[in-house]
Amino acid sequence: MKVAMTDAAPPVAAAFGPPSVHPKRGTDGEAIRIRDFNLWYGKAQALYDVNFTIERGLVTALIGPSGCGKSTLLRCFNRMNDLIDNLRIEGRIEFEGGDIYASTVDTIALRKQMGMVFQKPNPFPMSVFENVVYPLRIDGIRDRKVLDETCYKALQGAALWNEVKDRLHASALGLSGGQQQRLCIARAIAGDPEVLLMDEPCSALDPIATAKIEELIDELRERYTVVIVTHNMQQAARVSDNTAFMYLGRLIEYGETETIFNNPLNVRTQDYVTGRFG
Amino acid sequence: MTTITADDVQQADRDSSQAVTRRNITIPLKARGEPALWALGGALSVGIVMIFGFLLLVFYNGFTTFIAKPVAVVTLKSGELVAGEPTRSELYKLAPDAVKALAPTDAAKIEARGGYEQRTLYRTGNYDLSGYDFKWVDDRNVARAEFPSDVLFVERLEWGAFVGRIKAAAIDGKTVSTPTAKDPALVQAHEAALQRLQAIRNIERNLIGRVNYDLERLRLKVRRAELNYGPTSPEAAAARANEVEASGPLRAQYELLAAEAQRIRQIDQKNTVTLADIAGKEKTLPLSGLVRFYAANDLTLADKIGIYLSRWWEFLSSDPREANTEGGVLPAIFGTVAMTLLMVLMVAPVGVITALYLREYAQQGRLVSVVRISVNNLAGVPSIVYGVFGLGFFAYGLGSSIDEVFFLERLPNPTYGTGGLIWAALTLALLTVPVVIVATEEALSAVPRSMREGSLACGASKWQTIRNIVLPRAMPGIMTGIILAMARGAGEVAPLMLVGVVKLAPTLPIDAYFPYIHLERSFMHLGFHIYDVGFQSRNSEAGKPMVFVTTCLLIGIITVLNLAAIIIRSRLKRRFAGSQF
Ligand SMILES: Nc1ncnc2c1ncn2[C@@H]1O[C@H](COP(=O)(O)OP(=O)(O)OP(=O)(O)O)[C@@H](O)[C@H]1O
Ligand SMILES: [Mg+2]
Repeated sequence: MKVAMTDAAPPVAAAFGPPSVHPKRGTDGEAIRIRDFNLWYGKAQALYDVNFTIERGLVTALIGPSGCGKSTLLRCFNRMNDLIDNLRIEGRIEFEGGDIYASTVDTIALRKQMGMVFQKPNPFPMSVFENVVYPLRIDGIRDRKVLDETCYKALQGAALWNEVKDRLHASALGLSGGQQQRLCIARAIAGDPEVLLMDEPCSALDPIATAKIEELIDELRERYTVVIVTHNMQQAARVSDNTAFMYLGRLIEYGETETIFNNPLNVRTQDYVTGRFG
Repeated sequence: MTTITADDVQQADRDSSQAVTRRNITIPLKARGEPALWALGGALSVGIVMIFGFLLLVFYNGFTTFIAKPVAVVTLKSGELVAGEPTRSELYKLAPDAVKALAPTDAAKIEARGGYEQRTLYRTGNYDLSGYDFKWVDDRNVARAEFPSDVLFVERLEWGAFVGRIKAAAIDGKTVSTPTAKDPALVQAHEAALQRLQAIRNIERNLIGRVNYDLERLRLKVRRAELNYGPTSPEAAAARANEVEASGPLRAQYELLAAEAQRIRQIDQKNTVTLADIAGKEKTLPLSGLVRFYAANDLTLADKIGIYLSRWWEFLSSDPREANTEGGVLPAIFGTVAMTLLMVLMVAPVGVITALYLREYAQQGRLVSVVRISVNNLAGVPSIVYGVFGLGFFAYGLGSSIDEVFFLERLPNPTYGTGGLIWAALTLALLTVPVVIVATEEALSAVPRSMREGSLACGASKWQTIRNIVLPRAMPGIMTGIILAMARGAGEVAPLMLVGVVKLAPTLPIDAYFPYIHLERSFMHLGFHIYDVGFQSRNSEAGKPMVFVTTCLLIGIITVLNLAAIIIRSRLKRRFAGSQF
C-alpha cells in the first residue's frame, strides 16, 4: 500500500515527514486502530496514510484546519461513508481487533456499537421521547418500563432531563438548537454504544450549552470511548486526553493533549494550536 | 424586500474616503423591477379572474336552476296564447327582407334599433301536446303578458314539464273538478300515488329481480355442469333436474309478485288527473305520473324554499329519467366517487412503491434515468390513448381471460371481458401513476440527508430508516401527488367512454346480490353525464340547466375529495412543523 502511495503523494508529504507519535500512556487498551488508511472521493484523495490508535475509555480530540479530513475520518469509524458513491479506501481500521471494512462485518451491528453525534442537530420529526428511544425501537423493544428508564437515563446523561421532563411527548422539533443537540447526544447514548463519535457537537451552541456538553463528555469519559472533532482549541485542551492534529489529509501529530498543546514536536502543530495559522 | 435607495448609496459615498466626485445616481425603473412586477401581477389577476369568472358562471347557473320560476301567460297579437317560464331574452338580427315584410310601425321600430328585434324564450313544456318544450316569442307580436295565479307548473315522469291547469282529478274513482294545487285531497292522493309507485318499483326491481337472479343462477349451474362434465353426463342431468325442481316455486313466486304489482297498478288507474293546457287542450294521466306541481305565480317564500330543496334532493337521490335530462344523478355520483376512490387505492401504493424503489434502492445510473424520463413522458400521452389501451389490454385481454376461467357458463355474455368499473379505475390509475411517482420522488429527495444519517447512525437498517424516518417525513409531499392524481382522474372523461362509462347504467356496482360489490359492471360518471345531457340529448335547451347543476356537483365532489386529502396532509404537516434552529 505504501508503494501505491508514493506516486500519488503530493509535494507536501516530503515536507512533513512521518507523523510524530508520542509514546503511549497506560490505559486499559485500544479501541480503534487505524492502519495505513487512505481514502479517495472519486479521484480526489482526502486521507493519506493515516496511522494511529484510539484508546479505550479516553477522550480523543481530532483537530486541524477546515477541510483536512477530520469528518471524513470520523465517518469511516462507523462506515457512514458507505452512503457516498465513488468512495474508495485502502488500509485498515480495526475496532476491538476486527477489521470494520471486512466483507463479513454487519454495518448495522457496528453502528449500534458506535453512537454518532453530528455537527448540526438532526432530531427526528417525532416526540422527544420517541427520539431518545429510537435506537431501542428499531431493536423491537416495546417494554414500557425499559423505554422509560432508558429515556430518563439518557436525558439525564445529556443534561437535558430537567428542561424537557414536562414535554417528553411534544415534538422534538420545538426544542431550541442547543437542546436539540443535547437530545441527539441523548439519542446516541441511549443505544448504549461503546464508542461515541462527535463531529463538532458544539459548533451551533452558546457558551452555556457548550459548557454543559463538555461537562457531559467529562462524565462519559469512564464508560465510553469518545472521539470528538473540534475547531475550538480550548475545548480540545479542556476535554480531551489525547489529541490528533491533522493537516491536508494527513495525521501530523498525535499524543497526550497536554504534550500536543505545550510541547508539540512538529512546528505545524505548534503554529496551529497557538493560532498562528489555520 | 430590501432595496438600495439613492440615499443609501450617497451615504456609502460619503463614508468612503475614495469618493472624490459626487456621482448623480439615478436608478432606472427597469433596474428596480417594477414593470416586471406589474406584468406578473397582471398575469396573475387575469388568471384568477378567468378561473373565478368561470366558477361564478357555473355556480350561479347551477344554484339558480332549481328555483321555482313564475309562469307567464302571453297573449299574442294573433290571439294565440303562450304559457311558460320566461327563460331568457336577447336581441337578434332580422333579415332585411323579413323586416320589409312587416307592418310599417313594427318595421320602423326595428329599423330604429338597427334591424334588431328583442325576443324572449319561454319554457312552455307540454311537449306531448305541442311538439316543443321551448318557444321564442318576438316582442312585437306580444299583445299582453300576465302572471295569473292559477296557472300550474307540473313536473311529470314522462314528457317533461306541463304548464296549464288541472281540469279534474279522479281520486279513487271520485271526481273532483278544478282542484287547486294545494287542495288537501289532491295532495294526499298524490302522496299515496307516489308511494304506490315506489311499491311497484320495489316489487319489480328488488323482489322480481331476486327471483330472476335465482332463476339465472339455476340456469348457469346447468350450463356449468354441461361445460364441465359434458351435456350428457349424469351431473348435467342432475343439475337440469334441480333446475326443474327449484324453478317451479320460483315461477310461482314470480306470478304472485306480478299479480301484486298488477293490483297496485289497477288502483293507480283509478287515480288520475286531467290536465289542460292554457288553450284548453286536455291530457289525462295517472296521478303517479306527476312528480311535483305548484301554482307558479302564487308561491310563498316557504313554498319556494320547499320546492328548491325537494328538487335538490330529487337530483341527488334518484335515478335519471327522460334521457338523463330530468330526475337525479345518484348513479353518476356513486360511479364517480367509487371510481375515483378505487383509482386512488390502486395508484397510491403502486406509485409510492415505484418511486421508493427508483429513489432509494435502484442503482442511480443511466437505466434509472431512462426509466424516469419514460415515466415523465407517460404523463403527456393523450388520455384517449390510455382508454384504447385499457379497453384492449384490460377489458378484452385480461377481462376475457378471467371470463374464460371463472365465468365460462355466462359466455358469450361478457362479465369482465368488457368495460367496467375496475377497468376504468385501472386505466385511470395508469394515467395518473406518473404524477404520484414524480411527486413521491421529489418528496423523498427533499428529506434531509442529515435525518437519514441520524437514523442509520443509530444502527437502523435502510428499510427501518425509510419506514420510520423518510416515509413519514415525505408523507405530505406524497399526499400532494395523490391529490393531484385524484383531481386529474376525477375530471377525466375521454378514456372512460371506452372502458366502462355508459349513458345509463341499469344497476349500481353495489347491490344485495353476492358478491355485493360488482367491479365488473359498467357505471355512470358525472363528467360523461355532462357531455351526454348537454350535447347528446333531444333538446339541448332542456339539458342546459342539468349541465350546469351537474358541473356544480362534479366540481363540488372533486373539491370535497381534495379537501379531505388536504386535511389529512395538513395534519401530517403539522407534526413536522415548528422546526427551529
Ligand atoms: N462527499 C464528498 N465528496 C467529495 N469530496 C468530499 C466529500 N466530503 C468531503 N470531501 C472533501 O474531502 C476533504 C475533507 O473533508 P472533511 O469534511 O473531512 O473536512 P473536515 O476536516 O471535516 O473540515 P471541516 O472542519 O470544515 O468540517 C475536503 O477537501 C472535502 O472537500
Ligand atoms: Mg467536518
